[in-house]
Amino acid sequence: MTTWPIGLGIVATIAGAVGFAVSFVAGWSNAWLGGSLALALLGLGLALAFWGRDLAGDEVIAGRYPVPPDDTDGQAALATQLDEHASVITRRSFLSKFLIFGVGIFALSQVVLLGALGPWPGDSLTTTGWRKGRRLVTADGEPITRDALPTGGFLVAFPEGGDDKAGSQVALLHFVNGDFVPQEGRESWSPEDFVAYSRVCTHAGCPVAEYADVDQTLVCPCHQSEFDVLHGARVLSGPASRPLPQLPLAIDEDGFLYAQSDFTETVGPGFWNAT
Amino acid sequence: MSRDRRQDHDLKRGLGNAFGVRRSPIRPAARWLDTNLGGSGLLRAELRHIFPDSWAFFLGEIAMFCFIILVATGIFLALFFQASEAPVVYDGSYAPLAGAEISIAYDSVLELSLDVPAGLLMRQVHHWAALVFVGALIIHLLRMLLTAAYRRPRRINYLIGVSLVLLVGMNGLMGYSLPDDLLSGTGLRIAFSITESIPFIGPALATLLFGGEFPSGGLIARIYPVHIFLLPAAIAGLLGAHLGLLWLQRHTQFPGPGRSDRVIVGTPMVPAYALRTTGYLLMVAGVCTAFAAFAQINPVWLYGPYRAWDATTAAQPDWYMGWLEGAVRMMPGWDIQIGGLLIPAIFWPAVVLPGLIFTPLFLVPWIDWVATRDGAFHNVLMLPGQHPVRSALTAGFIAFLTVLLVAGGNDVFAFVYGWSQPAFLTVLQYLFFLLPPAVAVVTYALLRVRARRWATTVR
Repeated sequence: MTTWPIGLGIVATIAGAVGFAVSFVAGWSNAWLGGSLALALLGLGLALAFWGRDLAGDEVIAGRYPVPPDDTDGQAALATQLDEHASVITRRSFLSKFLIFGVGIFALSQVVLLGALGPWPGDSLTTTGWRKGRRLVTADGEPITRDALPTGGFLVAFPEGGDDKAGSQVALLHFVNGDFVPQEGRESWSPEDFVAYSRVCTHAGCPVAEYADVDQTLVCPCHQSEFDVLHGARVLSGPASRPLPQLPLAIDEDGFLYAQSDFTETVGPGFWNAT
Repeated sequence: MSRDRRQDHDLKRGLGNAFGVRRSPIRPAARWLDTNLGGSGLLRAELRHIFPDSWAFFLGEIAMFCFIILVATGIFLALFFQASEAPVVYDGSYAPLAGAEISIAYDSVLELSLDVPAGLLMRQVHHWAALVFVGALIIHLLRMLLTAAYRRPRRINYLIGVSLVLLVGMNGLMGYSLPDDLLSGTGLRIAFSITESIPFIGPALATLLFGGEFPSGGLIARIYPVHIFLLPAAIAGLLGAHLGLLWLQRHTQFPGPGRSDRVIVGTPMVPAYALRTTGYLLMVAGVCTAFAAFAQINPVWLYGPYRAWDATTAAQPDWYMGWLEGAVRMMPGWDIQIGGLLIPAIFWPAVVLPGLIFTPLFLVPWIDWVATRDGAFHNVLMLPGQHPVRSALTAGFIAFLTVLLVAGGNDVFAFVYGWSQPAFLTVLQYLFFLLPPAVAVVTYALLRVRARRWATTVR
């Protein structure tokens, strides 16, 4: 039996244990704390493993696996016995069926408890915080004017006083005159080339946070879907299928940007009855 | 030892024998146990329980050790974590977030990580152990597939094992969703979207499970008991059943001299096996601790708090969710619109694909039975080369998972190697279909060539 690795392991355990306590009391870094604890654990582990390995060399024994069941008589006897017990109940066939029916009704009734978990979706998934006339504000609540965003600029905007900040967030872009091509039927949605797209990715709902002004694309950092902001935020590449919905914008006489209405289509990822 | 002291020693032993007293406390302890609980004979037999030896049998043990480490460190973390999304102003020691409005949950994780002594170490050991846990489980499962260990009488225990892979993966997902940092919140947002995509029941199921439209503000309080009680209790129960069945049926063994389906050859539990296994437990704990000491993991203070309008680039889930992330990234945006019914494209990779992977995986023992018509009891394992079809299918399965995993990090690969990201994704989409069958065919051919040599070495 080689004793030196076992002794060395025990020495490492003691050194690591002392080091751990000292590191903790002295408030040393995570590396000292963890390093010493790892030394102690590995030392003790190695000592025991070496010791066990030496012992194992001495002793290999043979035994029997449990035998496969071939005792058909015993199985038949068991089946008969169970049948007898069961027949006490099944003999009264109507009552036993009625019992199963009652237990089933009881189990089903408990399913209503699931309703306590949360509200029904209602219109929460199909509406956002945007309403007719609601102004665009920054994350800090500052209303956004036409002067706040020079051409070529990009801002994240929210509805003023609106709840559902997560679902209402829009990417507000101000294009150089002539670059932007309004989609059919949306000619009045982009006054003075200010355009607002929903910032909730239509693929899996991450914020479409990256604006690449060279390519004029919005890119989702989660699964890399690319949206072409010059052409109605249609999908250029990646797993998304639907374009980012566009928010109809207007500008009042004081230069404040506001929404003409809520989005006209469902924001964010699709579901079976999304519009 | 001096002559005098040895005489003294001998004298004492002699006296002890003369009065019928053994100094060892074990004998009275054994008597106490037998008179109070009974069954000393059974216990004596079980102490000699035989364990066959192989490095491959260590994989399941690593998983079990990780569970023990996770419970131990998890108790420490639970003393500090607060599962609330209510806002609080941060006033801890991490200067970049000073004065920021964050959730109580995120605040408590920051305090645990940066201000509680040994808190960071415990958190990082916990996270590393979770990563090693799933890894050990998956390699353990692949070992089952390659050696046909799932055959009678171990079909039920195989089902328990695959269930454990599912539950442990789910609990890992719950765990990294708790800190309410930017990465975890983004992951939950994606989970909400995936739930929404299920036809008919999706939206209602999503608001029911998540407590309303995401972010509902009450989700972390809901995940917490699932993570620290519900799933761990289920895992502990199944793990107990897994080990109980293993104990009753004895462990499988590789073919070798004197071994058969009737005769088991190995090491008795006491003393060598117990010593070694305890040593391995401590070593796995030591390795996880060393990782936690020197390799930073999930530095949530760098990610910042979750806000629905913030995002990070190169966001990745924990590695064992990478296959699902990859599938979601690879699926083209093929929405199906039938009248008023929309089936979003994400439904296929995120809901249907996991079902397509796990259903056959659960059914492997019965598929094997139908294919080989072998329903006999087997305690001796097959070597991977003995059954080329089985091994080829497993190799194809591994290739399939690898393609998905790589796709889960396609942006990082494209960035590091300077590839075009969409082009790389297209390559991966082809590999998704081509690589698994190619790997399976090559594996089959190689094993057929070597089959005879394998057969002769075994005998």
